[in-house]
Amino acid sequence: MKKLLYVMSLLIIASMVLTACGAPAATQPPVVETEAPVATEAPLDPAAMAAALPRNETLYFNGQQWGPVVGWNPFSNSNNNALAIAQQDSARVIMFETPYLYNMLDGKQYPLLADGDYAWNDERTEITFKIKAAAKWSDGTPVTAEDVAYTWATHLKYETPTAAANKDYVDTIEAVDPQTVVVKAKLDADGKTVNPLLVQAYLSNNYVIQKAWTETLEARSADATALLADTAEDVVYSGPYGKFFADDQKVVYVRNDEYWGQDASMWGKLPAPKYLAHTIFKDNAAGSVALAQGEVDVSQQFNSNIQVLWLSYGLPVSTYLPEPPYGIGATLPTAFYNLKSYGLDNVAVRKAIAMAVDYPTIIANAMTNQSATFDQVPRSLMNPTAGEQALYDKDAVKDLQWAGNDVEGAMALLDEAGITDTDGDGWRELEGQKLSYVATCPNGWSDWQAAIEIVAAAGKKIGIDITTNYPEWSVYQTVVTKSDAPLPEEGYDIFMMWSDGAGPTQPWGRIRKMMSSEFVGMTSNWNGNWGQYSNPAADELIKAIPTMTDEAELKAAYTELVKIYLTDVPSFTLMYRPQAFHAVNESVWTNFPHDGDGTEPPVPPLDLTDGWSIAGLYNLTLVGE
Amino acid sequence: MKGYRKYFLNKLAWFLVTFVFAFLLNFILPRLMPGDPVAAIVARLAQGMTNTTGVQAIYEQYTELFGTNKPMLEQFFLYVRNVMRGDFGFSFSQYPRSVADVLRSSIWWTVALQFPAIIVGWLIGNTFGALAAYLKGGFDKVLMPVSIFVSNLPAFGMAVILMVVFAVNLKWFPTSGGYGFDLIPSFTWAFIWSVIIHYQLPFWSIVLIAIGGQAIGMRSMAIYELNADYVKYSRFMGIKDRKIIGYVFRNAMLPQVTGLALSIGTMVGGALVAEIIFSYPGLGSTILTAVRGQDYPLISAATLIITVMVLSANFIIEILYGFIDPRIKAAQAD
Repeated sequence: MKKLLYVMSLLIIASMVLTACGAPAATQPPVVETEAPVATEAPLDPAAMAAALPRNETLYFNGQQWGPVVGWNPFSNSNNNALAIAQQDSARVIMFETPYLYNMLDGKQYPLLADGDYAWNDERTEITFKIKAAAKWSDGTPVTAEDVAYTWATHLKYETPTAAANKDYVDTIEAVDPQTVVVKAKLDADGKTVNPLLVQAYLSNNYVIQKAWTETLEARSADATALLADTAEDVVYSGPYGKFFADDQKVVYVRNDEYWGQDASMWGKLPAPKYLAHTIFKDNAAGSVALAQGEVDVSQQFNSNIQVLWLSYGLPVSTYLPEPPYGIGATLPTAFYNLKSYGLDNVAVRKAIAMAVDYPTIIANAMTNQSATFDQVPRSLMNPTAGEQALYDKDAVKDLQWAGNDVEGAMALLDEAGITDTDGDGWRELEGQKLSYVATCPNGWSDWQAAIEIVAAAGKKIGIDITTNYPEWSVYQTVVTKSDAPLPEEGYDIFMMWSDGAGPTQPWGRIRKMMSSEFVGMTSNWNGNWGQYSNPAADELIKAIPTMTDEAELKAAYTELVKIYLTDVPSFTLMYRPQAFHAVNESVWTNFPHDGDGTEPPVPPLDLTDGWSIAGLYNLTLVGE
Repeated sequence: MKGYRKYFLNKLAWFLVTFVFAFLLNFILPRLMPGDPVAAIVARLAQGMTNTTGVQAIYEQYTELFGTNKPMLEQFFLYVRNVMRGDFGFSFSQYPRSVADVLRSSIWWTVALQFPAIIVGWLIGNTFGALAAYLKGGFDKVLMPVSIFVSNLPAFGMAVILMVVFAVNLKWFPTSGGYGFDLIPSFTWAFIWSVIIHYQLPFWSIVLIAIGGQAIGMRSMAIYELNADYVKYSRFMGIKDRKIIGYVFRNAMLPQVTGLALSIGTMVGGALVAEIIFSYPGLGSTILTAVRGQDYPLISAATLIITVMVLSANFIIEILYGFIDPRIKAAQAD
């Protein structure tokens, strides 16, 4: 009996060892097989095509698509189809196209569907532009001015998010003839355009959608809700890629080899990869591993200590800049003060905390140096791009800027304001009441949490008691975006949110969202000024800038706004962050955009999908070719 | 048989009572979380929107659509009515996808991963445990410490170790996904093989831990039984070893069977850790996303499935026990 059991146990152990070791030995052939190019004669029919995407025809992404794709409807914002549908400052244009493409590096809008530059009329109340004669839909019919007009009319009719965002600035869009579009701006009581900047931005932020398909969609939708909830699997598009496959684990787009852009009037050729594929990873760590393994070519996620991949592991991974900050900073993650909290209505307290914060440590720890420092780019309201930096007078605000870690200066400022420790407990009091705050950001946003911890530490150094607390995002966002009532008395004294990045309305749009009091009172405020700051002088300047055309006048206005901001300190920027993270693995593809790559106009590091960055798709070559 | 019917009805009544309470809690608990799920959807829609009225209109449109503006009691009756029809509504977080669609696409991955893992872990673990108890000596001295060590490894630790060793360093297995990153699902050998090799690491990360725990449990039960009076008595009687082992296993197995049933009941909760570390598809991370996004309909539907599975597993075990162990039936029937 014992012998039998011995034999049994040996057998079980042996079988386990065999299953563990046997499988890997056998994995080799299929891996080779999948990497070999497989015949794909019928690319538009997944059922007929071989199971594998040829590696040397496919460009892999990460960091854009989290969770499964829900739909393909360009009128809706709930498609969760990140690679295909994102109407924004640098609109994502692989599938749907905008009349113009914004280039964040030079701040210009380049024609895509449009033919040549747009022109304002003399009164600056309407914009005229032409549609390229070559522009075609995926069904082969031409893109016309009527499509542009009907797109806007449909947005208005069904009250889509796009309409809600633009109808205060864009009045009507008309087709004068099949090639000519006239965009009429909303006018104020004096007959002046309300906001010319936002009218211009409409042209590079929003897609043109086919009229014929839209009518089909309307015919099958009972109401606006149904129209927006339609998954639009049959959608007609004008861009170079369309749907190939989507499930819970990935989404794949295939090139339309009939794409109109190969006409000499646009790109003159097709984009290099036949497929764009995005594996859906569950978290950043999984995405980083795949990037290192060469299963991802273009990474739009935060890869902590990215430089390790090439310095320590010698992998062919690179970023836009070879040295820190590795990318071009565009947005300003910022800590906002709840101006109603006790003591935070006092500018000395606000400024002292902001001065004492150890920003170099935030940038080194939270961002692993993927942000410019405040010594390199002194704080203002501008992002680090050269275009924005040139818009204000640096010398005029020099005395107001602080680089951080200035504990002595902060203490002196508080002492001077009479905010001292009167009862000897080690904490400062304002009129007898101890200054004690909670600094917060959403739970699990690890880089923000690291930053908030350093803000709290700064408070302790200058005798202000700051503790941290991290609610879940679902709770946090509900509290912070409710601007029609004061923020809660406790728990949200200092809290982090983001700012606008680079775009055709910037830096005006960002400054507006950091400082304008027009957002105070919104039930659901997804714009900014969450600390509910209000300054009539700032409001006036923000209102005036969009209609200014004189450069000196513009610069004076921006300088004045920076002055107000750095004097009042309603919030303080903690780091610079790129518009989109952009790291590439050159195991298969090469010739990605990087600083000084000689492209003209320069291709921005926006993952070859956003705005002018899509030009990068046409420059890619295979390694070894 | 009369005693058995009474036992059965008694259990059935308890099953129904528990189910009603669990159903109520499934509905109420998610809705007691602080925060507003519709605000999260509006957040997604309202990006770039700078006018108050537009955002407000969208907010109202969606509270109306999801019914979150109605009183809780009314929401509950609507929910009951819809569930009866098998309609779990829209998922908030993946709107306009329906809850049924979300669950359908991930539940099979979970079942296919968890069910074999639980069974294999249970079988191997119990065999090892019984062997250790019976053989003692060297086998036991090696198995016991190894089992204790493995079963106490946190699941993520095991998963990360397996990934680093077998996927990143040795490159025997892929690091993530349910099938190759370069494949499209199809009925081809390449795809099926890819699914099989992607299955290995998540599978073993669950099985290895389960083996340890089961082995320890089985070993102590078996040692206890081996020293029981009836074993000694049987030996005096000269009954064959094989027969005695049969008695011992049958008795030692009882608590282990309960454990097995409960693991099978909870398996649709998903192997969250394995799913996240290997980016493996499944219900675990779907439920996590739902909880974080306050996706009430998805949370309620997922927890309802788990509730039903656990209750059914329990119920079946109780009924089976009546057969396996006559003492229980006898005690209950009195």
